[in-house]
Amino acid sequence: MDKIRKIFRWETALVGILVAQIFIFGLINPRFLKINVLLGSVNDYISICIIALFVTFVIITGGMDIQAGSIVGLTSIVMGLLWKVGGMNIWGTIPIVLLVGALCGAFSGFLIAYTGVQAMVVTLGGMFLFSGLAVVISNAAVSSAFQGISGFPAEFVQLANGKSFGIPNPFIIFIVLIIFAYLLLHKTKYGRKIFLVGVNTNAAQYAGINTKLVIMSTYILSGMGAAIAGIVLTSYLGSSRADFGAELTLPIVTAVVLGGTIITGGKGGVIGTALASLVIGILKFGLQMVGFSTQYLDIPVGILLIVAVAIRSVSAAGGLKFPTFMKSKGQRQKMAGSAK
Amino acid sequence: MKQIVRKVFKTPGLSSAFFMVALFIVAGIINPAFLSLDNLQLCINGSVMYMLLAIGIAFVLMTGEIDVSIGSVLGLSAAFMATCVRDGVSLWIAIPCTLAIGAIAGLLNGYGVAKLHVSSIIMTLGTMGILRGTVYIYTQGKWVENLPDYFKRYTQASVFGFVNVFLLVTIIITLGIHFYMSKTKKGRYLAAIGDNINGANLIGIPVARTQIFAFVLSGIFASLAGIIFVSKVGFVPPTAGSGYEMKAIAACVIGGISLSGGVGTVIGAFFGAIIMSSIGRILVFLKFPSEWDNTITGILLIVIVVADSLFRRHSAEKARKERLSARTLNEEREA
Repeated sequence: MDKIRKIFRWETALVGILVAQIFIFGLINPRFLKINVLLGSVNDYISICIIALFVTFVIITGGMDIQAGSIVGLTSIVMGLLWKVGGMNIWGTIPIVLLVGALCGAFSGFLIAYTGVQAMVVTLGGMFLFSGLAVVISNAAVSSAFQGISGFPAEFVQLANGKSFGIPNPFIIFIVLIIFAYLLLHKTKYGRKIFLVGVNTNAAQYAGINTKLVIMSTYILSGMGAAIAGIVLTSYLGSSRADFGAELTLPIVTAVVLGGTIITGGKGGVIGTALASLVIGILKFGLQMVGFSTQYLDIPVGILLIVAVAIRSVSAAGGLKFPTFMKSKGQRQKMAGSAK
Repeated sequence: MKQIVRKVFKTPGLSSAFFMVALFIVAGIINPAFLSLDNLQLCINGSVMYMLLAIGIAFVLMTGEIDVSIGSVLGLSAAFMATCVRDGVSLWIAIPCTLAIGAIAGLLNGYGVAKLHVSSIIMTLGTMGILRGTVYIYTQGKWVENLPDYFKRYTQASVFGFVNVFLLVTIIITLGIHFYMSKTKKGRYLAAIGDNINGANLIGIPVARTQIFAFVLSGIFASLAGIIFVSKVGFVPPTAGSGYEMKAIAACVIGGISLSGGVGTVIGAFFGAIIMSSIGRILVFLKFPSEWDNTITGILLIVIVVADSLFRRHSAEKARKERLSARTLNEEREA
């Protein structure tokens, strides 16, 4: 119960930050408050939001995924190639692209779960591998990697640029994915397994959970999340390029961690990640609208990340944190009591 | 013979050196031009910047933490150094100031990790963004160009006719650090913290101070790499060094340093850096299109770490079995 309350508090804090942001930017530039502008801004950072939702799963198991960004580029270029060179229907490519994302995730996930190599190292290799593969296949099939493929059918481009019920489609996709991820992580047996693996892998193993399969499945999910982001981005920009997503790795991790997911695993949530990715996105968008150059935007995001995490880690420990043995005897007894 | 093989595999620095030699020989068999002295010289001289980055981050990795801000530190240092050189500031002032940038960035990282207990990947992710933004503010998003020629010639300076000065200095630094980290008391602290941070704390190692020290060194080395970047490349774009942190980490991993800390040597990182930066050149000599660079790097990285992990697990399993059978033998004898 205590734990739930704590996460809830962090999420309300995020909502507070979000409201404050909208209020402040609205004061400076009233155009910011138009609902169309605000919702439309989502398009600019939707890929971060989508991927971060599923990277949350990976980080809750105690893993790390820095390859998702490069899967975006790979799936985007695969999609373009299947359509242009393979002559497939653009909608028909979507299942294949999702499969490619899942395979990329499965590859790294398998190595992480079954060989025991650190997740950071494997996904670092995966990052090089998948971004490299994207460049290779795009060069082999079309022309220079940075030229890309464009000229997609209008209906497909409409997918991310259009609106239904007055709401931009990417935002609807995002909401649907939040609901899906929320139900999966917080309301199913599978989701509970993910948390248990993150809290204590050995205990989960003894409880009869196939921990390796659970760990591997989270990477498949994040690979598929990256593939969805690749599709949306391809549709939004109307072209597919191998270098999409190269810059996303760090914003994704930022969003997950700012959302309250603990980097060592076992604690976190989808709603927090979704809110945090919106906080980051709106911060960037708002600063742009009040006249900051896009190139400076890493500074406020970096400061926000460090300050938020530092405040949380210091306050979670009840002031500055000390290792257990440095605490007084009374404190230790209290801790032992609460552990029981 | 078997013992020698085992010993080679157990010394991480040596095994990566052997791997490098094997890689070069394979490349040389396919295209003998690769093994020409000129080319090898270019290969190794070209990797000095990565060596410095890898050695610096090795300190942090040894303590079990990670530092992804070094690419941005390199960028900021390079931009600062380049403007100093362009505006004719004396090198005796410019170089210490540039190194101070790295030291301050490292101090910030170290303070956050050791005192505020922010996990290192988050902390350095934050400073990475902050420093990269600072580079843009400092250079106003423009390239720093028109550097005087004398500074660009420094990277070509050599002693004894063929040994590059920077390379020589880097080798001396590497050996010095290897000695420091393997033989001196304070140097062993790093590995001790990486191996077991609570244990290190219990036996009275100043954990926080050592961690901060590691981050500061990592920053200083990134700044050094930045100075070399300026001299080697001759201009500094505001994106200078972005993505280098991943290459430096990959170099360390290839060199046998474990990201969970406590295992590895800087000599391994040194050879890992040579392997990392030579892949592109090897591909050119094998008549492969150079765009395969990242793909091959990724495959190599994954194969090496997976093979290493399986090898370790196999030998651990074998040792366990030997222990078990020894125990049963003892019991039989007693009975």
